[in-house]
This record gives sequence, structure tokens and C-alpha cells, in this order.
Amino acid sequence: MEPSSQPQPAMGVAAGGSQVYPASAYPPAATVAPPAVASAGLQSVQPFPANPAHMSAQHQIVYQQAQQFHQQLQQQQQQQLQQFWVERMTEIEATADFRNHNLPLARIKKIMKADEDVRMISAEAPVVFAKACEIFILELTLRSWMHTEENKRRTLQKNDIAAAITRTDIYDFLVDIVPRDEMKDDGIGLPRPGLPPMGAPADAYPYYYMPQQQVPGPGMVYGAQQGHPVTYLWQDPQEQQEQAPEEQQSLHERD
Amino acid sequence: MDSSFLPAGADNGSAGGANNGGGAAQQAPPIREQDRLMPIANVIRIMRRVLPAHAKISDDAKETIQECVSEYISFITGEANERCQREQRKTITAEDVLWAMSRLGFDDYVEPLSVYLHRYREFEGEARGVGLAPAPPRGDHHHHHHSVPPSMLNKSRGPGSGAVMLPHHHHHDMHASMYGGAVPPPPHHGFLMPHPQGGHYLPYPYEPTSYGGEHALASGYYGGAAYAPGNNGGSGDGSGGSASHAPPGGSGGGFDHPHTFAYK
Repeated sequence: MEPSSQPQPAMGVAAGGSQVYPASAYPPAATVAPPAVASAGLQSVQPFPANPAHMSAQHQIVYQQAQQFHQQLQQQQQQQLQQFWVERMTEIEATADFRNHNLPLARIKKIMKADEDVRMISAEAPVVFAKACEIFILELTLRSWMHTEENKRRTLQKNDIAAAITRTDIYDFLVDIVPRDEMKDDGIGLPRPGLPPMGAPADAYPYYYMPQQQVPGPGMVYGAQQGHPVTYLWQDPQEQQEQAPEEQQSLHERD
Repeated sequence: MDSSFLPAGADNGSAGGANNGGGAAQQAPPIREQDRLMPIANVIRIMRRVLPAHAKISDDAKETIQECVSEYISFITGEANERCQREQRKTITAEDVLWAMSRLGFDDYVEPLSVYLHRYREFEGEARGVGLAPAPPRGDHHHHHHSVPPSMLNKSRGPGSGAVMLPHHHHHDMHASMYGGAVPPPPHHGFLMPHPQGGHYLPYPYEPTSYGGEHALASGYYGGAAYAPGNNGGSGDGSGGSASHAPPGGSGGGFDHPHTFAYK
């Protein structure tokens, strides 16, 4: 089952990369910089554009580490979504109870009939909708929870749902449901150079949103500078230990 | 494909009540605001299935998901209805809904839902006695049909079903009530084993409240039907998709639970 498409083109490329990792155009000079941390030994092709001429060696290292972190995060999330669809199909094929639905059919019909143009509805349409809405709730909740985890929280909030809506193309019809201030919290403000970093995962955002700006020179410098404080967090032993198991799991899954 | 038309008004509400059974969280008097959203208890229950045990959900997140679901239904319905009008049809069918999802980018949903719709139709066909089940179990069901009091008959009757449909509809309800019965008897199980398509499913025993011999036989019949969709020739072939995968035992067990409390 193919994963749903992502809203940003860069995200689309990255999402595809988690399937069959494509080689993107990358200046050869950047690969000369040696990685300072052991975990950086896994040299992967960079999916985002880079302009090493404008970055110092130190900034290059930080930049590469941020990209690597972000790639791993995306791969994990893509795997979660693939697993999600496998589970849905398995669940449906195991269904034995077609009389009790997880959502009331009468309510579904009323919502369908709220459109005055709708005339008659076959008996099977609400049945299919009941299952479809169940899958919709599960997928939206899963994508929202991914954002909750990125921010190291345990409470799923409205802004997590807003983030999921922003990141997923097929959810465009929902943009009016979440107010703008909820969405601004995630992406609109982050690329600004003056914004202080909120944490390790959040610091990944400046690099995440850089491709959208299409500002090769100054954008890179600002991004690198924002990422600079994270150097110490990534060198933290606990962080390294957290990284290792994920890499092993990833390799194991690839086998 | 059998698509019946649903009448509007009070009958529609009655049908909804009958279909929802115990699964519906609330059937309060119709209020516009309340009818506009899915019941929050149902929504939360579904959300928790995909979240870790320690996860918490804020109240505004719950309400936001409610809004999103209603918007999703309206979004898909609008597209499905446009197709109906273009083709000068008056009734939105399940196929129209699936077509609309595909058109609006929900491609991932179409395959699972197509399988679900197909299995639902097999289930409905079996309930109407269209299946190729052996004569003895069918006879037993007729017997149970006669033994049910008239009040039960009226209660199980759907507004959309005519006089001809009534016995079969009730027939299905008997299946439902028997689902939580004892382990299927060996003779019936033996009949299912040789069947080629049935081989893809491994019926497993259920051990909730036990009933008498007749009830046990009935539950055996229902169990066989549930796990041998290939046998329902009358409900249409093309079950290759579902036959290619064996259902896991755990999931099946999970789905049985609601039935235990239904039609007591």
C-alpha cells in the first residue's frame, strides 16, 4: 500500500526516498567534510538542496546532522503509515460483525442529507461511510500523534491536528476547521532567524522548511545559525543512545 | 448488487436506531448541533485504538476530530452526488462513495473499503438465505424463527424491508443472537473443511455463554457462514481478494464481543 502524498514537494521527494532512496544532485565538495560524531557515520544522500560554499565546516556538520535526524524521523513515520494500512486491510478481512458499526448510520445519513442537493441514499452508502470514517479518524489521529511525539508531549492537542492537516495533501479540505493561529504555531513562524529554538525536534524545522523559501545563500546561513545550539544536545550521551537502537531497527527492517 | 431505498423522516430515524443497536453512544432527540457531529464517545474510542496507552487527548482535539469527520462526510458526499446528477440518477450508491474518494485523493481507502463492501454483501446475502448452506441448518433456523415472539419480530423489522423481506431479516437476527453460542458442532465443521475456498479461513472456537444443542447448532451455522465467504455463491463471486488473506484469530475475537450483548 502506497503512503499518502505529502503537501510540500520536498516532503514528497523525501517520502519517496524512504521507499527507494533516490540520489539527488549534491555538490561533491560537501562530502569532503568528515563527520564528527559516530552516529553520523551513516552517510546518506541528502534530499534537500545545500550550498556548502556559504557554510563553514562546523555549520556543515550541524546541517548534516539535522538532515540525518529529519530523514530518520520521516522514515519512521512512513513505516508507521505503511503498517497502518496493512493493519486496516487485515482488520477488514477479519471482520465478522457487519451489524454493529462503530459509528451510527443514522447520524451519517443526516450529515449526508444536510446537503439539500442529495436526494436518496442507498442502504450500503452509510455502511461504507461508517468504515471510511473509522479509517479517517484513525489515520488523522495517527498523523496528529506523530506531531505530538515530535514535540515530546503525551497529550494530543488541536495544533497537532492542525500540523497533520498542513502536512497531508488529502486533508486540504479541512484547513478551515483549524484556525490560523494553530497552524502558525507549527511552521509559519519557525523559519524566521530571530526565533529561539524550542527543543531538539523543533530545531529540525528550520531545515525542514528551508526548501520552501528557495533562498540558497542567506537561508542556509540563517538555518545553520539556528541549528548551532543543538550541537551540544546531539552530543549528549542519552541522545546518542536513543539514536543507536533506531538505526539498528531500521537496518533490521530493511533486511 | 442490492440497494434498497431508505424513506425519510421518522422511518429513517427508526432504521438508524435498528442499525446502530448497542453500538450507538446516544440517541437523543434530534438537535441540529448534535446531529451535525458524530457522537464524541464513538470518536474517542476509535482514536484510542491507534494511540499508545499513555496518550491523552485534549478536549479541543476531540471536538476538532468530530468536526473533521463531518466535513469528510460532506466533502465525499458532495462529490458522489455530483456524479449521480451528471448521470441523472437519484440514489447515491456505495460505488459512488468509493468513486468520490478515489477522485478526491483518498486512493488508499478504496481497496480496503471495496473488500469491506464485498464482504458485507456476502454477509447480507447469507442473511437472506441466498447462500449455498446445507439444508439441515437452514431447517433449524426456520424452527427458531417460528419460536420467536411477535414483539421480537416487530423490533427486528426494518422500515425499508417489505413483507417478503421480513422472515429473512429476522433470520439474520437469529444468526446474530446465536453468534455468542457454544463451539460449532463437528458435523457442520466437517462439511466446511472440504470446500476449496473455505480452506482459506480457519474457524476457531468461541466459548462464551453456552446454550442448548439447537442453539449450538445454529451458532455453528453462523460461524461457518462468517468464515467461509466463498461458500456464498448466491451473493456473487469474485471473493478472490478476500480469500487470499487469512484473518488473524485475535482480530476476529475482538469483533465478536459486541455481539455478546446484542439481542439478549
